[in-house]
Amino acid sequence: MIPLVLYVLLASAMFTIGLYGLLTQRNGIKLMMCVEILLNSANINLVAFSAYLPNVNGQVFALFSIALAAAEAGVGFAILITLYRLYGTIELDKINALRW
Amino acid sequence: MYQDYAYLIVGLPVLAFVLTIFLGWHLPKGGGFFTVLATFAGFILSFGIFREIYPNDEIVHQSMHWFASFNAGILIDPLAIVMLLMVTFVCTLIHTYALGYMDGDPGMARYFAEAGLFTAAMLGLVFSDNLLQLFIFWELVGLCSYLLIGFWYRKPSAASAAKKAFLVTRVGDVMFLAGIVLLYTNMAKLNLVLPEGTYLLQFQTIYDSLNLIPPDQLTWIAVLLFGGAVGKSGQFPLHVWLPDAMEGPTTVSAMIHAATMVTAGVYLVARMFPLFYAAPNGLTVVAYVGAFTALFAATMGLVMFDIKRVLAYSTVSQLGYMMAALGFGAAVGATAVGVSIFHLIGHSFFKALLFLCAGSVIHAVGTNDMREMGGVLKHMKWTGLTMLAGSLTLAGFPLTTGFFSKDQIIVLAFENGAFGLGWIPYVFVILAALLTAIYTFRLWFLTFDGEARSDYHKHESPWIMLGPLVILAIFALFMGMPSQEGFYHYVGNNFDHFGVDFEELAVIGGHHVSHAHVHEPFIIKILPIIIGVGGIIVAALFYSRWKRFDPGLVTSERDPLRKILLKRYYQNEIYTLWFAEKVVYGIALVSNMIDLKIIDGAVNKISAISVGFGGTVRKLQTGVIQNYLTAIVLGVAVLLILIQLASMGVAI
Repeated sequence: MIPLVLYVLLASAMFTIGLYGLLTQRNGIKLMMCVEILLNSANINLVAFSAYLPNVNGQVFALFSIALAAAEAGVGFAILITLYRLYGTIELDKINALRW
Repeated sequence: MYQDYAYLIVGLPVLAFVLTIFLGWHLPKGGGFFTVLATFAGFILSFGIFREIYPNDEIVHQSMHWFASFNAGILIDPLAIVMLLMVTFVCTLIHTYALGYMDGDPGMARYFAEAGLFTAAMLGLVFSDNLLQLFIFWELVGLCSYLLIGFWYRKPSAASAAKKAFLVTRVGDVMFLAGIVLLYTNMAKLNLVLPEGTYLLQFQTIYDSLNLIPPDQLTWIAVLLFGGAVGKSGQFPLHVWLPDAMEGPTTVSAMIHAATMVTAGVYLVARMFPLFYAAPNGLTVVAYVGAFTALFAATMGLVMFDIKRVLAYSTVSQLGYMMAALGFGAAVGATAVGVSIFHLIGHSFFKALLFLCAGSVIHAVGTNDMREMGGVLKHMKWTGLTMLAGSLTLAGFPLTTGFFSKDQIIVLAFENGAFGLGWIPYVFVILAALLTAIYTFRLWFLTFDGEARSDYHKHESPWIMLGPLVILAIFALFMGMPSQEGFYHYVGNNFDHFGVDFEELAVIGGHHVSHAHVHEPFIIKILPIIIGVGGIIVAALFYSRWKRFDPGLVTSERDPLRKILLKRYYQNEIYTLWFAEKVVYGIALVSNMIDLKIIDGAVNKISAISVGFGGTVRKLQTGVIQNYLTAIVLGVAVLLILIQLASMGVAI
């Protein structure tokens, strides 16, 4: 059996990658992907702890989280498409109509 | 019964004001009949009240709580009722006359609305039962005066005359207000226990507490209140606005600047007479200012060529007589109030008459300048004869109203001198009486006698204008004889209704009350007659068809005295060029600097700092989510490190 610490390390690595992407990227699609990575790192943690405890609750949460991520992706990409139609770009720092 | 409707005396003219200002444009004659009817109804009511209170010598007093420690109320005592009767009567006649005089003027509705408002304010001033309410109406008549002087506001001279009247009277009004404040503070200090329904500034309360206020404070209050009266009644040195006020329609001059509003100052001093009497030197100031004004204005009346300006200076001079008469109260007590108010009433009849006659002449001839008139009597018999009646009584021709009232003032002036209070006022009023007779008949002869000196329109005025003239002429000539003794008694004892103890006040004021009869030499007794008739003869010798002397004989164009008089003692130069442009303008410039640089500067600086700070700080809110996220991540990281350190036992 794979030790739990490896799962946690993997999840931490994914979380850090996602966070790094969120902080550095300007492209809307890339940002969406980073958010997905963040969510999935949490999912890995949930499933890993659930298998080790053992308690099925964590896996149920992971399923909820995946459903939520799907909805989030749907809304997010819809916004990005609309933005692209309006501005011709999805570079988020170019979209600054409401900024000072 | 009538006294229950006393409030309608003011209410009806206010109603007329509202009706004419909103509906007047659609009505014939600008809705002027509303104002006439309302004022006439006021006269009927006043007369009814007079009939009710006169036989038993009662007074009417109604009062209600207004706000804080102030009340609104109606007080109709002898002093107020004679003023009410006079104001409603004269105003009714003048409004009627105005129906003819203002006919065809596009602003007729505005005229009658403002005239109605003025009537209401004047009546309200007269029957106020406390000083604060009186002050409010006092300001209101000042406003109406401003509006009506500037009635032809497109004419620059009228607009500037209105402004001048407003500003100059404002100087007096500020002093009046300061006087009220000073009186109020002094009375509040007494901690009086007031019975239910009485208030601090009510006249009754003021009269009652005069003996408790320190005498030096009383003098200050008296001088400040007198300052208000000086402004309103055109006394020296604040008289300059009154001759300029003649820019308004002649009916306005007759109503506001001769018969009613300008007498408000005299009325104020009469109303506060116990206070002036109790104030050491209070009445002396009044007597000297009044007597000086009487002479000072009369000298200027001598040389004017504008028919209305002669009458304006005459008004200033006669107001000086009334003030002086009140001032002589220092010697004779409250009798002086009766004498002064009698002259006030008589004056309002004959001066309104004279102004309306002058208006009738101006209406027909089309000019104010007497040099372009002459021989008008041939074409305007009624106007000429009624004006003769007014002139006779103003000049003090024996047995006319003006003769009795002025004679009585001169007698008071003599007694004032005999009591050792100075002969200067006596000399002033006697000289002024002589000059009055001369300038009055100079006016009459120049206008109505001799040959026409220009090609003017020759027609008599319509009867709606002549009717009031005839009525006023009858009153001006004959009112005095039957009523004078009763009048002095009725109004002179006004303050008995309030239980004013003049003997006690005399001690505070330092008056020596002497009941000894002053012996008047025969020559003093007949001097007013000689002067009145003599003045008329002098004027006839210089200006009438029986001319014996040329006016140039006494005064030539280059005569310095004449020049000074024509220049009106250089008052305009002193007031406008020197005082207004140098002193006031300088102060205004400095104030403006302080306002702009220091006060506005401070406010602007504070707001600029806030704006700058805000502008800098809001840059933190970039609107870029990633920046926020960075802050969150950093914060969480710092927190985690701190928690870690804490769990390792490091003291933070």
